[in-house]
Amino acid sequence: MSTREDNDRLVLMQGTLDVLILRTLIFGPEHGQGIARAIQQSSDDELLVEHGALYPALQRLEAQKLISAKWGTSANNRRARYYTLTKAGREHLAKQSNRWRRLAAAMARVLGPETEQG
Amino acid sequence: MANWRRRSDDDFSEEVHAHLEHETARLIEDGMAPDAARAAARKAFGNVARAQERFHESTRWVWFEQFAQDLRYAARGMAKSPSFVATAVLTLGVALGLLMVAFTVFNAYVLRPFAVHDPSRLYRLGWHSPDAASRIFTWNQYDELQARTDLFEAVVAHDMRFINSESAGGRSLSASYVSANYFPALRPRLLMGRGLGPGDAGQPVAVLSQQAWTRLLDADPGALGRTIDLSGSPVTIVGVLRAEFVGVDDFPRDIWLPADRTTNPEGLEVLMRLRSDVTPERVEAILTPYVAQKAPPNIAPKDIRAMLVPNATANPLSTELLAALSPIFAAFALVLVTACFNLSNVMLARAVARQREIAVRLSLGASRSRIVRQLLTEGLLIAALGGIAAVTLTTFLMPVGTALFFRTLPPSMAALLRVVPMPVDYRVLGFAFAGVAAATVAFALAPALQASRPSLTDALHGQRTGTGSASRMRSVLVVAQVAVSMLLVVTALVLARNFATIGATDLGYRTAGVYSVNVRGGHNELIPAAAAALSTDARVAEVAVTSGNPLFVTHTLAAAPADADQAPVPVRYSFVSPEYFTVLQIPVLQGRAFQAAETSTAARVALVSEATARAFWPGANPIGQTVRIERPLTSRMDEIEGYSRVTVVGTVRDVVTGLMVEGADRGHIYFPATATHRHAAALLLRPQATGDFRPDMTFATLRRAGLDTTIFEVFPMAEMREAQMYPLRAGAFVGGLLGAVALALSVTGLYGVLSYMLTQRTREIGIRIALGATAHAVINLVVRQCLRLAGVGALAGLVLAAAAMKGLSSVITLEAVSLLDVTPFIAAMAVVFSAVALAAYQPARRATRVDPAETLRAEA
Repeated sequence: MSTREDNDRLVLMQGTLDVLILRTLIFGPEHGQGIARAIQQSSDDELLVEHGALYPALQRLEAQKLISAKWGTSANNRRARYYTLTKAGREHLAKQSNRWRRLAAAMARVLGPETEQG
Repeated sequence: MANWRRRSDDDFSEEVHAHLEHETARLIEDGMAPDAARAAARKAFGNVARAQERFHESTRWVWFEQFAQDLRYAARGMAKSPSFVATAVLTLGVALGLLMVAFTVFNAYVLRPFAVHDPSRLYRLGWHSPDAASRIFTWNQYDELQARTDLFEAVVAHDMRFINSESAGGRSLSASYVSANYFPALRPRLLMGRGLGPGDAGQPVAVLSQQAWTRLLDADPGALGRTIDLSGSPVTIVGVLRAEFVGVDDFPRDIWLPADRTTNPEGLEVLMRLRSDVTPERVEAILTPYVAQKAPPNIAPKDIRAMLVPNATANPLSTELLAALSPIFAAFALVLVTACFNLSNVMLARAVARQREIAVRLSLGASRSRIVRQLLTEGLLIAALGGIAAVTLTTFLMPVGTALFFRTLPPSMAALLRVVPMPVDYRVLGFAFAGVAAATVAFALAPALQASRPSLTDALHGQRTGTGSASRMRSVLVVAQVAVSMLLVVTALVLARNFATIGATDLGYRTAGVYSVNVRGGHNELIPAAAAALSTDARVAEVAVTSGNPLFVTHTLAAAPADADQAPVPVRYSFVSPEYFTVLQIPVLQGRAFQAAETSTAARVALVSEATARAFWPGANPIGQTVRIERPLTSRMDEIEGYSRVTVVGTVRDVVTGLMVEGADRGHIYFPATATHRHAAALLLRPQATGDFRPDMTFATLRRAGLDTTIFEVFPMAEMREAQMYPLRAGAFVGGLLGAVALALSVTGLYGVLSYMLTQRTREIGIRIALGATAHAVINLVVRQCLRLAGVGALAGLVLAAAAMKGLSSVITLEAVSLLDVTPFIAAMAVVFSAVALAAYQPARRATRVDPAETLRAEA
């Protein structure tokens, strides 16, 4: 595993992953594995290669008080740490999704229709 | 990041574990075999250990952990190069130590509160008007102030005087007569016995300082009850103070005595502790009408303001004081700056040498900030050791410096002067701590940033990259060092030059073998009896009366020739007896000296200096001319009342009176006086050429005449002259010391850079020699490099020095002091370039010995 490659992905994922997590939590409290699954499904495995990469982002969001966490029991009676969106998290998500949408639209305009590059 | 959670590593592990279980369960649900599901869950998660590591690193304890790791690493690295560490620690220790010595003195005189109870609300009272000021109050005023319990918690009175003591070998003790509440209110801590109290008034009892107890009584543990001599009468010691208390102003006392209205008829200084519910400004406003109504009759009450000066420390901290001291501190700080440049240079060289190691660590995933932090830790460790060295050096230098100060002072001054205790207390240690922190950033940050950004691949391939900018940085550091050294060397030489030229000033009168007898505390009424007694002493050849010692004349008046319409100019004046001119050997050039009849009647005649005669009557005979005296400029109006017109009876040679740094007198007028004249304030005596005269012999003579010898002091004029020069002498010495240290540091810095350059260019030099370059050409190469660095630095230093001197010369307007003289600048250049040559010599010789065959082989 090379440092440089890892760094590249981190740069790409900063912010992106945060928004995805917050977005996932909008439907209610969820534990780490649930969030990972949801993100993988909704992004066709593009944005989260390893589940483990989710946890630094969760920690960061928790430190920023955008989400809160509590140990609980899952449907199949297993213990899990559940993450809940806070009020600040909800506001942050609204702001960030808007920003990402604008950014994505702008990038799409600049790059034009998708072309295969040689 | 804010809000680090207090979440444990275990809690996180549990979460990861739960995650894996959930995932496994999910996969089994999807139809996977349990083992395969477990493996797939792990695979999907990625590196579990790494996730846990990252969680761990995000908690705050990691910083300490890594710091400890860095410290261990730095210590190991330093243990491998002890000579580097020793040099670095010594460099920093000396430079920081010197600055700390300066700070320790500053701390003792400005920052350190007196060792008394609650010093923060202590103030001393004074008053000032536009042209007068005083801090002396009468006993009645003291009583009235003490009654103002609405303003003050306590009002304490004390004074400062020298008393001759046989117990001190005939020398003076600095004494304080203190009010009865001095000890109860200030509560200084005692080593033994008791302080003075209300019951002691009028009793022959005293409290000694720890220093005086050691000096006078050999630190006798049974000192209580012993008596010592004070000007012929015994006093009993009732207490000895601890070393930290030496009084409540900036002149330490040896002995404290109970004051009463008979010992201090003329009054005392007054010190008060303000109540917590009043402000000093309010007290000043309240006391202003009070002091105005009690002021001397010749000062208009409306001009008088009461003034409370903070008295928590020996000198209150003020911006004026800081401004005055800043050039001195700047000089000391510049040495530390040079040391930091020097260290930075060495650290940079080390970092470049370790580039491969750093590159490996970077490629293994260490972040740049982590590498910078690690290199900074090394710097911090060196700085901390340097700080310890500096503190050690300071504790060693303080007593040495104090001893040196007293040894180099003229003996008669050394016997009088005292210094306050100058401990290395927590403020000094805090200052050292700040110095260490600042030094670390100053010398370690730039190399760390520089070293942590190599191109990985190049460095891993063993090529030294980034050396271009590193060596550029090293050159800049050397240039800066040379510049700062140049500035300090110029400063030192300017001081030395002024000391030499002013010290060699021909005063125009004799000081050697002349003694000055002064009366303390303005007891001029004792002058006639003293003059009479000394005149009859067989060992004394001649006694002159004067209104002031010629080395300290400050009285100036405005005068003009009477018959011309000329604006009055400032002229110094003295009242003297005829012997003044013979004792001091000032020749009368025209006309005649004073006659006995003129002195006894205080006739309105005068002798004028040549310069005055030339200015007032150019080309004409001054004898018989009249001088019109407008007003005194430096003293009270009544000082020369009745002297509005005086007739010139002669001219005398120009002399240098007053402070020598102020230069020769522009003019001087002498009026006749005898010992009984109201202006007579001091005596000058010339002993017989044959006898072996000692100043203290005069005390015996004075005592025989029934005079209180406590208030007389006798100084050799030669020593008074020396004492006047002492500040310049000390300045030249300290400046020279700082300059020498800075220069030594720059030389080692330059030497390091040249050696480094040579090792880098060994191959090139080898090829040059193989191609037929002579030793001369190789030396040229080194010298050119050296001159380029030193030349730029020296030039920058000269410009800095010229700017600094120009700035100072606008503040220091002393006639005899010249700051912009060219000689010290040229001399400094010679000194700096000699030092540079010294630095270049060894590397240049080494370069000529490069073996071309060897270097060419090494390349292959």
